[in-house]
Amino acid sequence: MSELKIIGTNVTRPDAYDKVTGGKQYPVNFSLPGMLHAKILRSPYPHAKILSIDTSAAEKLAGVRAVLTYKDVSQRPFTPVYFVPAQAKSMVQDFVIMSDRVRWTGQPVAAVAAVTVDIAEAALELIDVEYEELPAVFDAEQAMQDGAPQSWQNATNNIAKNPTFACGDLEAGFAAADHIFEGVYQTQRVHTCYMEPRVCVADSDTQGRIKIMSSMQHTFGLREKLAFALGIPESHVNVIKPAYIGGGFGGKLDIGFIEPIAALLSLKTGKPVRAEHTRGEDFISTTRNPIKVYLKTGVKNDGTYTARHIKSILDCGAHATHGSEVIMVHGLYGTFFPWKCANQTWEGFTVYTNNMIGGGYRGYGAPQGCFAVESQNDEICEALGLDPLEFRVKNTHKEGDPHPVLPGHKLNTYRLQECLEKGAERIGFKDRKPAGSATGSKKHGIGFACHPLWVSGCVGFPDIYEHSGAVVKLNRDGTADVVTACVDIGSGQITMLTQVVAEELGIAADAVKLVYADTDTAPFDAPTHASRATYSAGTAARAAAAEAKKRLFQAAAAVMEANAEDLVLENGKVMVKGDSRSAVPMTEIIERAESPFIQMTDQGPVPTTIAEKGSIIGAASMAPASNPSPCAAEFVEVEVDTETGEVKVLHVVYAHDIGRLFHPKSAEGQVEGGFQQGMGYALMENLLFDQETGACLSGDFLDYKIPTAMEMPRRIESIFIESIEPTGPFGAKSLSELCTIVPAAAIANAIYNAIGVRVRELPITPEKILQALGKL
Amino acid sequence: MKQIINIDINNEVHEVAVEKSDTLIRVLRERLGLLATKRGCDSGGCGCCTVLVDGQAVYSCMTFALSLEGKKITTVEGLRHDGKLDPIQQAFIDADAVQCGYCTCGIMLAARQLLNDNPHPDEEEIRKGISGNLCRCTGYQKIVDAIKLAAASR
Repeated sequence: MSELKIIGTNVTRPDAYDKVTGGKQYPVNFSLPGMLHAKILRSPYPHAKILSIDTSAAEKLAGVRAVLTYKDVSQRPFTPVYFVPAQAKSMVQDFVIMSDRVRWTGQPVAAVAAVTVDIAEAALELIDVEYEELPAVFDAEQAMQDGAPQSWQNATNNIAKNPTFACGDLEAGFAAADHIFEGVYQTQRVHTCYMEPRVCVADSDTQGRIKIMSSMQHTFGLREKLAFALGIPESHVNVIKPAYIGGGFGGKLDIGFIEPIAALLSLKTGKPVRAEHTRGEDFISTTRNPIKVYLKTGVKNDGTYTARHIKSILDCGAHATHGSEVIMVHGLYGTFFPWKCANQTWEGFTVYTNNMIGGGYRGYGAPQGCFAVESQNDEICEALGLDPLEFRVKNTHKEGDPHPVLPGHKLNTYRLQECLEKGAERIGFKDRKPAGSATGSKKHGIGFACHPLWVSGCVGFPDIYEHSGAVVKLNRDGTADVVTACVDIGSGQITMLTQVVAEELGIAADAVKLVYADTDTAPFDAPTHASRATYSAGTAARAAAAEAKKRLFQAAAAVMEANAEDLVLENGKVMVKGDSRSAVPMTEIIERAESPFIQMTDQGPVPTTIAEKGSIIGAASMAPASNPSPCAAEFVEVEVDTETGEVKVLHVVYAHDIGRLFHPKSAEGQVEGGFQQGMGYALMENLLFDQETGACLSGDFLDYKIPTAMEMPRRIESIFIESIEPTGPFGAKSLSELCTIVPAAAIANAIYNAIGVRVRELPITPEKILQALGKL
Repeated sequence: MKQIINIDINNEVHEVAVEKSDTLIRVLRERLGLLATKRGCDSGGCGCCTVLVDGQAVYSCMTFALSLEGKKITTVEGLRHDGKLDPIQQAFIDADAVQCGYCTCGIMLAARQLLNDNPHPDEEEIRKGISGNLCRCTGYQKIVDAIKLAAASR
């Protein structure tokens, strides 16, 4: 294990050359001859009944080929979330593609396919819809009141889901506390802002089968959900895996409206149909759910927790979809189990409103939890004069502890204390000044946050798919082809899988190629989400490569007249272990395996044996052994301008227990990009809606600001702690999501340290800073 | 009402019939099949569609094709010379500045203009030079590194 040659090095990303020369393979570039273009008519009302819909004028417009309304789509509700079955019991099934009842402004009510986008748009104007407006509610807590407008008959007080967890004796715990802290922490609705819009091309054949290309994070999820929405067998849908997509971040983790609409329009017209979101449509698709967290914590004088009560109210918008799982992850991994407290109760509410539907977004409920808990932890340490680093160590887990969520599993590797200590040392935390003590109008502050528990996939979660597959095929020139349905969403899955297979086979990274895959030909893979790809897809790819190697040794044993068990593969050569004179190039073995049975040579015919024959392939389809927890701490230095309220992040140090560092530069890239998203969340990003009409007011990047290179800190340092997880492929755990979970809390705590006043509501805008300072 | 214009893209003159409302990105992607230029927002907010017009970085979604008669346009398809990558392209690979890569083409062209105008920019000048382009994956650090690397490799 210690002599890794490929893993741990900065191999060139296999997809980089293609991307810097134009990136032809994005789904947005996919087209088919004779393709039509679809556009969607969306409701202007947040809550209404459709009384009538007249599409006759639109149908008559020259160039229009088909029109769809709710009458053409299945009314069988399902969950559009890719990573669970369409009718998973743990989720709320309330989603249909179009209906005669609209529950949010922007809900699709009809769609048109035409020969050009312009004609399709013009046709939308000709569709006459008569609505009966109904009362709407846009605030989750108002929606929970008796008498509030009801979107769903069977959801009393608009509560879609109300899970709770409890341990110990809450009352006794609070009674034992020396101090009790209470606070309310509010987060906002933000968008993932993947750069490639959601886009798809669907084509149908004469027997009603669909082939589809889409910018999404899960090939098999799209197959399943599309088949369900269309009411056809799964095997009638073939999803082509895109070579790569232009970003996902959880924002492409459910079937959109465009895929079923394009597929239905293709079935209706017999033509391929393309649908692409405008940026405005993307902004009203799948955002991070706002969560309001009521947090009450009891502590001893020495900082030991005695009790905690948490109430989390999540606004899922018009449909529960991801909101029915985000609330669980927020509860389990965002608030309840990361911290050690013997007496706890958590109560979660997923609440329907007439806002847009929430969705998946990197961190999946944990950024909201981390902001609340870590803000309050900072308040506790400040009020009691406790060492904030020791406080975290005291109240979190230790290596070797039982896994707090997964019965029968342990925290085999767990280095939070090291993350805290190394991060603190690098930023000079011991020299930080007391809160609010900075002089002058521009005040510096240092703060940090950690997140003590996260995932490397979904083992242990009810209903969530968690297995991966791969087929590895060795070529006669000594290269390997890998078939996998795992989608590279930008975070480096192609590179990672390449490294795993190359390492296992002992060949160069550039000798491994990920090839075409679709759901007809590749084994199932769960989505690229939940920080799972390296740990889970990596496990399957390694196993497939190991199978191929085993097959190679069987063939080699016949050629070399050796025992397969005694053979090893090093630098492209098969040899008897310890005997370098026995080495035979693997190309020779593969050549023999794939050669005609009897080869004519200058020396005459050379027969081969049955044992040598057959392509050298290996396949695996498996779930990983566990779900090890990474952990991280992030330290930031900020400058707050107390005249303007502007916050600048100057310096960031992020320390993370990663298990095994596969690719140092890519890992840093995850940290740096994760910080950009977390900083946007902390300081500026907020989707705004008209409170009368529910219309999104942040329809483009001029109104929805995300950090540019100018706003970003000039120094982001990454510290990776390699704890070598025994259950992970080559010791891997996970990285991606924690990089986005911790920044908001760290920044909020740094702002407090700078100005001595706390803001408990994101984003912390200049206006809120000035209000906190009593200047507004 | 369509008008015929001659438009010089990557040193090749194309005759295209365009409507008044046709933007450059539309002509590039939908008429000429030049797909390196990406549509990210169609409203001048993200920079994915950045191209060079007479050496200046512009958003092709905000540029009407009719205004381009007689101008020289460079897209990423025109960055490679004799099969060799532009130093900026090579630097983006070497610095690991490409994640999802959707913003990459636009940012490389913004960087190309920057280095043409100022061959040795400091970090602040680099950041300012790409501040009209959004990236959601990288946090820009490796992109800044790549542009420094490209500047040093001249």
